[in-house]
Amino acid sequence: MSARQPLQDVQDGTAVTAKDGLQTSISSATPTSSRKQPPPEKPSDIRRRSLVILSFWLIVLCLGLPIWWKTTTIYRANLPLQEMLDWADGKACRPVFPLHIAIQANSLQEQEAQNLVRLTQHALDDLNDFSGHHLRLQLSPPSGDKKPASDHSAALTIRLVPGDSTTSTLDQYAPVLDITYPPNTIPSPTSSSSSLATYVASQLRSTFAEEQTIISYLLSSSSSTPPEHRAQGLTPEAAELLSKRTTRSLKYAPTYHLTLSLFTSGPLPSSWDIEAAIDEYMKPVLDVLAPIHNFTIDTQVQLYATPGVQNQVLSKEDLSSFINAAEWPLSPSIGGAPTVNFVVFVGNQTIMAPPTISEGADSELPTFQSFLIPQWGTVYLLPLPHNTPHLSAAMLKQPLLTFTSHLLSLTGAPQSGSLPLRLSTLARIRSADLLLRASSTLGSLARLSLALPSISIPSSVADGVSKTMAHLRLACETLGGADGLAHARIAESEAERAFFEKSMVGQLYFPDEHKIAVYLPLLGPVAVPLVMGLLNEIKAWRKRRRERAEKGAEKKAE
Amino acid sequence: MDGGKVTPGRTMALLAGASVLRLAMFTLLPGLPDLLAGRVEISTPVTSFKRLQEGLFLYNHNVSPYDGGVYHQAPLLLPLFSLLPSFAAFPLATYMLYIGADLLSARALLRIAGSGEAGESALFASPRREKRASGLVVAALFLFNPFTIASCVGRSTGVFTTCAILHAIARAVSGAPLGAMVALSFAAYLSMYPLLLLPPLLLLCYDRQLPKRATRSLTQFATTHLAVAAGVLAALFWMSFLVAGSWEFLPSTYGVQLTLSDLAPNVGLWWYFFVEMFDSFRSFFLAVFWLHLSCYVGGLTVRLRRQPLAVLTLLLGIFAVFKPYPSISDTSLFLALVPLYRHVVPLMRYTFVVAAVIMYATFLGPAFYHLWIYAGSGNANFFYAITLVWGLGQSLLVCDLTFAVLRDEWEVERPEMVGKEIRQI
Repeated sequence: MSARQPLQDVQDGTAVTAKDGLQTSISSATPTSSRKQPPPEKPSDIRRRSLVILSFWLIVLCLGLPIWWKTTTIYRANLPLQEMLDWADGKACRPVFPLHIAIQANSLQEQEAQNLVRLTQHALDDLNDFSGHHLRLQLSPPSGDKKPASDHSAALTIRLVPGDSTTSTLDQYAPVLDITYPPNTIPSPTSSSSSLATYVASQLRSTFAEEQTIISYLLSSSSSTPPEHRAQGLTPEAAELLSKRTTRSLKYAPTYHLTLSLFTSGPLPSSWDIEAAIDEYMKPVLDVLAPIHNFTIDTQVQLYATPGVQNQVLSKEDLSSFINAAEWPLSPSIGGAPTVNFVVFVGNQTIMAPPTISEGADSELPTFQSFLIPQWGTVYLLPLPHNTPHLSAAMLKQPLLTFTSHLLSLTGAPQSGSLPLRLSTLARIRSADLLLRASSTLGSLARLSLALPSISIPSSVADGVSKTMAHLRLACETLGGADGLAHARIAESEAERAFFEKSMVGQLYFPDEHKIAVYLPLLGPVAVPLVMGLLNEIKAWRKRRRERAEKGAEKKAE
Repeated sequence: MDGGKVTPGRTMALLAGASVLRLAMFTLLPGLPDLLAGRVEISTPVTSFKRLQEGLFLYNHNVSPYDGGVYHQAPLLLPLFSLLPSFAAFPLATYMLYIGADLLSARALLRIAGSGEAGESALFASPRREKRASGLVVAALFLFNPFTIASCVGRSTGVFTTCAILHAIARAVSGAPLGAMVALSFAAYLSMYPLLLLPPLLLLCYDRQLPKRATRSLTQFATTHLAVAAGVLAALFWMSFLVAGSWEFLPSTYGVQLTLSDLAPNVGLWWYFFVEMFDSFRSFFLAVFWLHLSCYVGGLTVRLRRQPLAVLTLLLGIFAVFKPYPSISDTSLFLALVPLYRHVVPLMRYTFVVAAVIMYATFLGPAFYHLWIYAGSGNANFFYAITLVWGLGQSLLVCDLTFAVLRDEWEVERPEMVGKEIRQI
């Protein structure tokens, strides 16, 4: 404001600086005797002006600077960056799945059984080339009844029963492998090899072969895993098959929403007995999946629905456009959970068998009535006589069984083996998957915070990171068990939450250059008079000091 | 009217005329009070009468008045207004309260003008002091200023702050420093920003002490009177605590002014700026704006040490432009004090420009607001542009008055320069 400016007088259009002592404009070229020199400034005026300037600068320095520092420093919570990177590089945790296999040999002597177990373990260790997936054999105490001991820690129970020849059957309802053997194949306590042991080992290996390939595929596809940790036995074809399967299955979520829809091309059928059908055909599988996923279900009936393709016989190319996304009310997601769509389409269309693919090789076309859309769901084409007003539960049996089996492959369960084995394998695969994903999210977060030094890291992110790491550690210790899955699940969701923290995203695209645009328009004009005033004052002060020194020198000289 | 002597009869006539005019506007134009109460130029979030009634309703129903985030005014206004007969049933009582506040302000102005402090302070006597305006003119210019009338009819609670500030100055010039401190504490309690007037007001009190019980040491004087002001404020806060039942009134009243959480448009410069501000810089620029508002206090007080009343006047002008929720009632307070400096008006250079700019903004402001909010043919920039002009006009007046006051001082030192052309570099 003008209060700070000294008043200066002007004569004949030439400025004569009166107060700040800078006699720059008086030129000797045009000396005018009439020009008056202003009277010298009074010391009290000089002092007052210094005080005014000081009062402004005191506010700037004592209040302005600390406030600027306090309000614009970016809060960066301390992240354990090295640890996070270790997790991402797979150095912090070596995913090991110790699978306990219980062996029940009720008819064998303790000594013989121990010997057999030892030999089989040897044979297994010889066969195994992938250290992450480890089968440990244990002799379980002989139990009297025929039912296998309910040993939850064991992934599989082998029941050795004497018989005529060496055969093996996988129990359909329990994780039990029945192996019969001729009595003469029992190894003697001294022998170092036995055909029975080799047989059991090879059976075990083939049972877990798929799981092993999937896990080794997961480990190798997460690029950060150290190479020595990867499985060597993964052929390119197997890898390709697995990647196909992985892309087909849905991303892991604790809850899936199942939408069962009945679309009819005409007015009929207008009702279906879906609840009874679900209870009968779908519920059992959903129940066994319960430890891994929750499911919510809704159903709908739509009449006069036109599919995207009107052909009588659908070729493979038509399938991708069959779903009429514009008109069919298939909402992408209800609530937070991803939706799996199961559509029963009543019409007279069929699917043409692809000529080049031999039967059964392509699992996308298990029957020619239905097809699976990766990460989306299944469509079942149900041919019906025209005047069926109501679909009974029995008529829905085939569609629902198809849906159920597709649901398993959509959740990423392995293809072979008995149902209980497939489910326990699914849990292990999922926990490995979640563990790797959470670790790589941690790594991304660490790299992000290193790459952008101006990004703010709120304390909630640090909290999320420490929670993630605690659960990752627990998951790593309990891999293969039910706890492992739960911990991996928490770790993954915490890691995602920390990574997608809202207040961080806003600052992502705010480079330092923008700060000039923020500060300059307002603070620039304010700073100019402040700085100029201070500079002039300092100059005047130095000049006065010099003059005083000169005067003192003159006096001394006199 | 220039040499109008202040006689009791004339004063009474002036006050009566002003109250009759206000009463007539309240009663004969039934739509006008509510229309004015809804104008953004008059009712800011911290002075609005509508919000006061909302707070009053909550208070009378035993709900915390600050619940709902509408009421941002001092808690002690609530018992005051609930003592009055209900506004819905008997509005005259409220009208009389506001008219009374205006008349009290006018009386304070009469006393300030009568003291002659503007022309002749303890340390400085203006050579032009003979030409000073009479108290009646000053009071009349305040009472019949359209801005004052509009604030009164719009029942902005800024009227009470104006009254308290004018009383603080009046007490100070009549040698009652304790009364001045109490009045200023009331003003600060109501609106917070008057706290910044404390340094020049202390100097004014110090200069105008009655000789018989004067304190010589400025430090001692300042300490005692600061303690008095702090004590009164503490008592007011304690009473507020008793009335509101908790300390939550602090963030809802002063916190709102400090953080500008209510971004309703007004005639000030803050709201638009903080609508556009990046969130991460918001707190920094809030601090910058507040520091900017307060940095003038020290400089002006030091520079115009010999005329503390001029410092108060200029600061009120600066606050009317740069405070967080300004309204025309702040401008009317500034314009009430400007006529005290009638003797330096000949030294001012931009009187015509200032008058033109203020008139221009006064007439176009409501029109632009209408275009933005009701007609929808303009946008926020329209209104913001006109508030910039409004601020420009007022700051021009502040600058010009500063210049005139400084030149007046300077001519005492350099009598040979009187009437010469001068340039400010």
